Order: sequence, then structure tokens, then C-alpha cells
Amino acid sequence: MPIQGNRGVGGPEDAPFSVTLERGKIKEFARAIGDLNPFYLDDEVGAASEWGDIIAPPTFAVTFRDERAGAGALLRDLGVDIARVLHGEQEVEIVRQLTPGETYLCRTKVVDIYEKTGKSGPMAFVVRETAITDRTNEIVATMRHITVVRL
Amino acid sequence: MKYAKVYFEDVKVGDELPPLVKGPIEQIQLTRYAGASGDFNPIHQDDEFARAAGMGGVFAHGMLSMGFVAQATTDWAGAGTVRKLGVRFAALVRLKDVVTCRGRVLAKSSKDDVNLVELEVWAENQRGEKVVTGRATVALASRA
Repeated sequence: MPIQGNRGVGGPEDAPFSVTLERGKIKEFARAIGDLNPFYLDDEVGAASEWGDIIAPPTFAVTFRDERAGAGALLRDLGVDIARVLHGEQEVEIVRQLTPGETYLCRTKVVDIYEKTGKSGPMAFVVRETAITDRTNEIVATMRHITVVRL
Repeated sequence: MKYAKVYFEDVKVGDELPPLVKGPIEQIQLTRYAGASGDFNPIHQDDEFARAAGMGGVFAHGMLSMGFVAQATTDWAGAGTVRKLGVRFAALVRLKDVVTCRGRVLAKSSKDDVNLVELEVWAENQRGEKVVTGRATVALASRA
């Protein structure tokens, strides 16, 4: 089943979406990983820190998603079954720490799609990049995601 | 000494991070991570679904393992020091697997009062197979 080209490389970005970071979500995320670092969990430690509040763990921004689009919007657009998807690679670049109460704007686009045949058969690789900016339009973080689809 | 502060001057190329051992992985942690991250792909929750998908059973979210690697990095370098973390998910992490995260200093550089340390980071299972491989860049404070 080839990847559908209706979300082509260099095509338009997904609709930008905003996320307001909730204090409880940061803590829930850190605890789910089992990372009990007080800079993620302790409001007093956060308030006394250089950031003036708790911060999100490095991989937290990968959870940002467009609530309006619903789960699996990208997969639907690509004509892909979620059972055939694997996470291939992930990169996160952090310019500024994410803190509670801030509202961030996320812009994602597909930058490459290619196919390769591996040990387990033919696979498609979908490369996406996300830029996260704050209210003043400054870059806070960027991400690069590679999703692997078993064809 | 968990969460000790590491200064740039004290780091040498070739230094190794203290290993961080996570697991054995239990289904409840994958369910918890799904809730915390919003990734409810049933392949991480429903063994029957994962078998029907040809994956031989449920496996952990790659992002959970990346979170472990991030934790190993910040346990050593400090929270808020990570400038960049990039990983490849090399093998699946299964229930009952024990994941050990490791890292090693590859290079140091200073420019415009920013002191950067480049690390090779990885995670391996109880058989010594690498499940995550990657690179991290952290910014460390100077003693000066």
C-alpha cells in the first residue's frame, strides 16, 4: 500500500495550533516516565530556579498535538493504518524551557517522504518538522520526527 | 549524589554518565505514559491488537525510552541543560525488559559564554542490545 501523496513534500503546513501548557500535565508526564526531578515536580523548587517556575522535561514538547484535529489526522491524510506505524527517529532542539501557563504555537510540515526496503520488508519514512513559538513569535523549540510505515 | 551540579570545567572527553536503570517495564507504565502523552496507539496497550499487527505483542512507546535517555542526561547534567536530543529507535522495548541508559562525553566547546558538551547517549536492554541510540547537547555552567 503506497503512501498517498495528498500530503506531499513541500506542501502546505498543517494548520498551526496553539497549546497552553498546564502545570499538572508536566508533572503527570514526568511521573509517567519515572523522572522525579524536583525541577519538574516541585513548585517551590521551580519558583526559586532561574526559570521562576517548574519546567517541562526535554521530551515533553513531542506530546503537543492539535486537539481539534483528533488523533491520527496525519495517518488518515497519508492513508496509513495505525497498526503499521513505528516511531523511527526523534529529535528535539530546545531554545528556551517550557513553563506552565505559557501558550505556544506549533507549526508542522512534512519535509520528506522516502521508501526503503529493510529486513522486514518495504517501509516508507515520513519526515516532519515542527516549530514551536511563544506569544512574541520567538522560537522556543524545534522538533524533527521520522515515522516509519510498514508497507 | 543525584541532581548534583556538573560544571563545564569538570567534564572530560570520554567521561561516562552514571547508568540509569529503568524497568522491568510493566503494562501499567505504558498505560500511564499513554495518558500523560496522549499517544493512545493500541499497539502499546492491547496485546491482541499488537499480535494481529504482526508485532508479536505490545511494546513500549519509543518516546518513553527517549524520556528515559533524557532523564539519564539530566540526572547527570541537570534539569534545563538539554539543548538538543536526537535519537533513533533501534529495537523494540517489550514488557519485562530492563532498560539501561548510558552516555559518554564526545566533545566540549565554548562560544560566546555558552559552554556546550556533546554526548553520545544510548539505551540497551538486559541482553545488551541497543534499543535507542543518539546524541545530546547540553549547556553547562562554568565555575568562573
